[in-house]
Amino acid sequence: MSRRDFSERDIHMALDGELPGDERTAYEAWLEANAEMKTKSARYAADRAALRAAFNGVLSEPVPVRLSRVMLGEAPVVRAAASRSRWWLAAAAAAILVIGGAGGYLAGIGRVGLENTAEDQLAEEAIAAHVIYAAEKRHAVEVPASDRDHLQSWLSNQVGLKLVAPDLAAQGFQLVGGRLLPAGQGKAAMLLYEDDKGERISLFVTAESAAKAKGTYGSEEDGPEAVYWLDKGYGCAVVGSLPRERLAAVAKSAYGQLVAGLES
Amino acid sequence: MDEKKAAILGEIPRLRRYARSLLRDRDSADDLVQDCLERALVRLDNWQTGESPRRWLFTIMHHLFIDQMRKVNRRGEAAMLPLEASEAQAAPAEQVESIASREIVDALQAISPDRRAALVMVAIEGFSYAEAANILGVPAGTLMSRIARGREELRTLLDDAARRRSIRIVEK
Repeated sequence: MSRRDFSERDIHMALDGELPGDERTAYEAWLEANAEMKTKSARYAADRAALRAAFNGVLSEPVPVRLSRVMLGEAPVVRAAASRSRWWLAAAAAAILVIGGAGGYLAGIGRVGLENTAEDQLAEEAIAAHVIYAAEKRHAVEVPASDRDHLQSWLSNQVGLKLVAPDLAAQGFQLVGGRLLPAGQGKAAMLLYEDDKGERISLFVTAESAAKAKGTYGSEEDGPEAVYWLDKGYGCAVVGSLPRERLAAVAKSAYGQLVAGLES
Repeated sequence: MDEKKAAILGEIPRLRRYARSLLRDRDSADDLVQDCLERALVRLDNWQTGESPRRWLFTIMHHLFIDQMRKVNRRGEAAMLPLEASEAQAAPAEQVESIASREIVDALQAISPDRRAALVMVAIEGFSYAEAANILGVPAGTLMSRIARGREELRTLLDDAARRRSIRIVEK
């Protein structure tokens, strides 16, 4: 029997049937003596069983006719251009995760969790507020930017977060002011910004969030789009009708400053 | 029908399962399978007698998947369109069997495509490390680290989902 130190790596090998047979006994003994590793091994095995269960049904589905036709040499079914590019879209959504994983903030269009999620609600509320107040000329905000310190302390107290209005001058936006809004069971702060052409964007911040998620959301075509992120303890959305790249740049800057403010 | 075509036909259910785990959306996954079959037909002569049809087909499909991912990556933010996201992420109703099943499908989609492919290849499709490394065109060590990281990532995501679920129950 080989005498060697086992590690977490061996858990994967054992699970995947890659552990040499003559090391099996020693491995089992190591696992028995190592509660943490044993728990991990059991968990990975359970997750694998769940994975298999989730996808096994596909094997018993009838093969779609369009697929068997390809092999039977019958005239190929012409797929509409839209349909042909559909899996590309799914791949596109997945690719966001790669970009995010590499350190970007736009990590998750792919939502992890349940339907009709907290982030949907956050994004919808943020968009609704933006549609109403960004269009207001005289009553867009309750507290103007000229009273910035009061605006920040008032909204911070109401929402329950240490709120610092981000400086978006580099992106061409100046703070107009802010207001307090209802959100879910609680309150939200809305900060309104404007560029020199009168284009407005808003930041929507709540203290209500147990989830972690990131993504973009648009409720209707041509309507404003929200870039949102949720973390434990807060949720934020940046809403505007900007070209995507610009909205992303604004959101990224706002995100960095808001998080820095929250954690300061 | 010749033997090669019959062998390929027999692999379609496995190809569909692999595609579904990579892309989740049923139509998108079947599009990928269809592209794979079409390419396989064109290259039928490259398939050497004795080579496992499964391995050959999985290799073709993986290349198609990776090619698309690269194209998308180059475009970067093209993927930010909310329409694309909602379309691509919407799970067809018939696929939703239980909360647990949906959670694991969601979590699998959220890990990086490289890790997802490696993990699925071994954990669901049952390929050996050597076979999977060969199909994915990476060294065995890379494959192993992708599997290990993929499993760990999956576990964390599932824990998060479970926590959210329990919070929701408490709130009711």
